[in-house]
Parts: sequence; C-alpha cells; structure tokens
Amino acid sequence: MATLTVTDKDRFLINQEGQDFSHEAKTFIKIRELALKNLKGLDFPSNKLEDWKYTNLKELGKLEFRPQSAANIHADKINEFKIKNLDAYFLVFVNGFFEPSFSDVIEDKESDFLVTNLNTAKKEFIKLVEPHLGTQTRAKDQFFVNVNSAFSQDGAFIYVKSKAKLDKPVQIIHLVDGDLVAAYPRNLIVVEKFAQAKVVLTYDTIETHSALCNSINEVVVEEGALVQLDKIQNENTNTYHISADFAHQAKDSTFTINTLPANGKVIRNNLNILLNGSNSTANLFGAICLNGNIHVDNQTFVDHAKPHCESNELYKTVVNDQATAIFNGKIYVNKIAQKTNAFQSNANILLSEEAKANAKPQLEIYADDVKCSHGCTIGQFDDEALFYLRARGIKESTAQKVLLDAFIGEVLDHISNEAVRAYANQLIAKNFKSQFAALKN
Amino acid sequence: MLKIKGLKAEIEGKEILKGLNLEVNPGEVHAIMGPNGSGKSTLASVLAGREEYEVTAGSVHFEGKDLLELAPEERAGEGVFLAFQYPVEIPGVSNINFIKTAVNEVREYRGLPNLETKEFMTLLKEKQQLVELSGKLANRSVNEGFSGGEKKRNEIFQMAMLDPKLGVLDETDSGLDIDALRIVSHGVNELKSKDNAFVVVTHYQRLLDYIVPDYVHVLLDGKIVKTGSKELALELEEKGYDWIIKELEEEKL
Repeated sequence: MATLTVTDKDRFLINQEGQDFSHEAKTFIKIRELALKNLKGLDFPSNKLEDWKYTNLKELGKLEFRPQSAANIHADKINEFKIKNLDAYFLVFVNGFFEPSFSDVIEDKESDFLVTNLNTAKKEFIKLVEPHLGTQTRAKDQFFVNVNSAFSQDGAFIYVKSKAKLDKPVQIIHLVDGDLVAAYPRNLIVVEKFAQAKVVLTYDTIETHSALCNSINEVVVEEGALVQLDKIQNENTNTYHISADFAHQAKDSTFTINTLPANGKVIRNNLNILLNGSNSTANLFGAICLNGNIHVDNQTFVDHAKPHCESNELYKTVVNDQATAIFNGKIYVNKIAQKTNAFQSNANILLSEEAKANAKPQLEIYADDVKCSHGCTIGQFDDEALFYLRARGIKESTAQKVLLDAFIGEVLDHISNEAVRAYANQLIAKNFKSQFAALKN
Repeated sequence: MLKIKGLKAEIEGKEILKGLNLEVNPGEVHAIMGPNGSGKSTLASVLAGREEYEVTAGSVHFEGKDLLELAPEERAGEGVFLAFQYPVEIPGVSNINFIKTAVNEVREYRGLPNLETKEFMTLLKEKQQLVELSGKLANRSVNEGFSGGEKKRNEIFQMAMLDPKLGVLDETDSGLDIDALRIVSHGVNELKSKDNAFVVVTHYQRLLDYIVPDYVHVLLDGKIVKTGSKELALELEEKGYDWIIKELEEEKL
C-alpha cells in the first residue's frame, strides 16, 4: 500500500492554491502557467544541489505559509522606511501588495517616465510590459524563480522613455508584516535607448516571527542606457530573503548593481547579467557586513555573450559572530565574445573564530582573446595596521572601525547617491557597534 | 621620566632583551646604538606595546606609571610616541582623517576637547611645513605609495601633531638620502624642549651629526654595556663594535 507523504515542495505550494490570477491578460497568465509547469519537474532545493550546497533551507521547507494577503499599515510606520534625506519617488509594497496611498505614482501617458505598480502597467501599458516581463527568466531550473513567476501578486514598474532621464531616484520599499507570510514582489525596470535611471530597492520588516520574501527584479537596459540599482536588505532575523536579479543589456549600455545585505535570517541573491550587446559594461558590487547568526549567499552569473564588453565585480565581506558568507561568482565568456574584459574580486575578513566565509570563483571562457581575472582572499584585519593606529593613540575599537570603513568604503563609494550611502554606512555601523566594543575585552 | 630596570623580553621563546637598564630625563636625547640583532628594535617595540613581545622580567615606568600595564593607545595618550622603522601602509584611510582621529583620541585621553576644524587645519599646516610634507599627501591613503623619505617625514609629522613627551625613533635614518635626513632631523630638533625627551635608535652615527645626543648607549646582546657622550658614536663609527666586546671579555677575566 502506498503511503501519502507531504514533501517540502507540496507544503510550500499548497498554500498558494486558490490564488486567482484569471483577470490578467492571457500573455501574463502564460508566464504563470509556464512557471507552474517548470515547478512540476523541480524539487524544493536541498544541499544535494550544487547551487545550494552551502545554504540550508530545511527549516524554510517545513513552514506552512498562509495564503498571500495584503496587510493594513499606518502611514507613520511607512515613513520610517523611507531613506532619510533621499529626494526620491517612493513606491511602497507590503507582503508583495501595492500600497498606492503611500506611493508617488506617475502614470501620465505623456510623461517621459512611468513610476507605478506592475498590475496597473499590465493593464494600462501592456505594450511596454509584455515584451520584457518573464523574458529574462533565464533560470527556468531555479525553484524560487518559478515560484515567484507563478504566484507574484505585484511589484514596481519603472519605465524610462528613450533619451529621457528619471529626474529623481525611485525607492522601492518592500515590507514584510505578519507571521507565516510569503511575499513574492516582482519589479520590472525598462530603460530605453540612451535613457537613465537610478533605483534603490530596500527590503525591511515591520514585524514577523517567520516570513519569506522571494523577490525578482528584471532590468532591461537598452542601447546606450545607464541604470544603477542599489539593493539594501535589512529584514529581521526571522525572515528569509531569496531573490533573483536579471539584467539584460544591449550594446553600449551600463548597468551597475550595489548589493548590501545587512540583516535577515538567510539571504540568497542570484544575480544574472546578460551582456547581449557589444561595448556594454556591467558593474557588480557587494558590501557584506554580517553579525549574529545571519547566513548570506551571493551567487553571481555574468554572461559575456557579445564582444568588447566589460564586467567589474567586487564583493567585500566582513563576517563576525557566527555569521556565514558565501560567494559564488561565475563568469561565462561566449566563443564570439572576443576582447572581453572581465574582472572579479572577492575579499573576506573574518572577525571571530566562528565566522565563516566560503568563496568560489568560476570562469568559463570559450573565446581566445580576452582579459579575465579573479581573486579571492580570506583573512583577518592587518595586525600591523591595527597596531600602527593604536600606537597613534586610537582606541582598538575605533581602529577596527577605521579599518572596516576603509575596507568596505571601496565598495560603498560606488553608491552614487549620498543619502543612500549614508544609510548604508549607518546600517553597517549599527551591525558592528556592539561587536567592536565586545572585541576590546 | 622613563625608568627601565632589568628589562627582559622575548619573542617566540627567544630572549632578546636580557636585563636592560636605562633612565631618561626631560630635556635629554639618548642615542642607542648597536649591531644588528642586539635588541635595538625590540626595545622600541616593547616601549610602544607591540604584543608579539613578551616581557619576562624587569619594569618600565613612565612618569611613575607602569608602562607595561598600558595598551598601546594608552601609552600614546600618556605621551609615548614610536616613529616606526617601517611605517605601515593603510589603503583606504586618508592621511588627514587618520591624523585627525589620532589627535582627537589622544586629546580625549588627556581630558582635552576635540580641536575645532579651523584649529586643526592651522596645526596641520604648521606641522606639514615643519617636515616639508606636501599637502597633497594629506588626502592620500596613509603611507600608500609614499617614497621612503615621505614615509619617515610622515612619522615625524605625526609626532609633531601628537606632541609627545617621549619620542622613540626606531632607525628613522635608515634608507634616507641626505636631504630627507636633514629635514627629518630639523623636525626633531624643532620639537625638542626642556620638557620632552628622545630616544634615538640607530645603526649609524651620521644621524647624530644632526640630532645631537646627550648620551650614547651601546646595546650588545640585549644589554646596555657602555654609555658615553656623543664622541662614543664617532668611535663606534670608526672602529665598529669589536673593541667593546673585547673590552667586556677582558673585564670578565
């Protein structure tokens, strides 16, 4: 007699049954159906998969999430998540649902740009959404990419018309609130030829004892366009964050993504950059300062598909307490991608005995005229530098802060907006303040 | 000011200082000379509080305080300054922020308020001029890409900014050309007063042409074996150290 067992995958998907997306246009329903079909052949990720070797999701698999629903939020609650002194358009989402009353919506058809939610865009601007949504889901074997694609309720839609410039950055605020919440925000950013946009993504928690934020960001960078994304993850220690960021670059374009995972339970970032036009540049920077028990796993994939492109990747990590940092950076250079310049560097500093860092660079090069380099280091703060600072009267805790700032500063300098950089600095300082005091004793 | 009695220190189980005695009073300049491996740099490192060295016997008192009990930053706060033989490069930390942090932390230790930006800038300019250190270096990372001479001038500049009571110069002259040597020495001489003192650790006599010592000590095998006036340095330069070793052996007999 066969026994009926509930797998982690069943448990994970069962709570989404009954979500109704039938009001959507056929083209979007197709994306969801395709994702569901993909999911049939995929298991809930376990450590047996090479991709998930170092990140354990066993506990997550046992959680019985509630069906998605919007939450009631007060305005003053929202305001504290707006980055201080940031002159920006704000889009607010809670548990994956749009909060229009707290958002600055621009959906004037005559405007050079649109700042709105994806559900509105799917109806009002279907011609701008359809060619791009889901097409970058170049990861059909990724469980969480498909879960998001099947069940995402909403997300931001940012569109900048050819040759136009988004006059202010957009801060997309995503909040998690409530227990057993699984949120699936999905943002689409389309920047047309020679246009420019800066977007700041912040992920925070209002309150929860167990939650998952499974997000996707799709970015279309057309010919000669310039896009910068700052992604700051600051959820509470009960929240899992699993995200995938896709950039699709045409020729002469530049895309920069700054990733700053500051707080959470488990954070997994999958960056997937396709350099699909010659002379395009991708910059991937990560500032990872971890304490407590947080586990952060950054996976990057840069696909050099065309010649004369450049990718610069710099991930710097400082790990304290029992925290863990994983870095897996893959660079793929296609046979035709001659004159590729691809640089990757991952430097880790461990501050405690129990802190862990794992670095794995991967280069796959099929062109013969390329410049590629990668380097990984794992170490401690330079004792000589520390002694030098102390010999000049600087307290040990201050000296460590000075060295930390110098180390991480090289990455933070790439965040061009001062208010965002100040916020990033503040999060890092907060993470390390008590620790440096403790180290002194 | 500084009283060292019977100091023994070792690194990785190897004894380097074997019972060193030295007394330094305000207004004095002491030169410590000796061949390689005699313990000159160890003495400087122990005074500054380098943790790799273990003090196994003896005492070091600075103005009545047990210096060995203090952390490196507390020693700096008390007024001990070590000019490094090999100044450390610190990428990403600008020279100006570094010295500003140091000045204010030392002031805090001494119970003084932080310097106002304007006061700080005035002091900075004055002390940069003292060692002819280009203002351009202020915004560069600490010692990164500095020439040998610039590094040493930067040490003396820091010393001038922190205004110590006791300056310990660890082979500050090594690797300097004559111009740099002149500038560094001029800086030290300008800082000299009746209230402070210097211990100049050197391998060569030539530095002592510029920074004139009141006492010259010979350090051999972890002990000060001979003390004399500045003429002793000239004698060492001329005859080396062998004659002292011989003298010592004869004494033993």
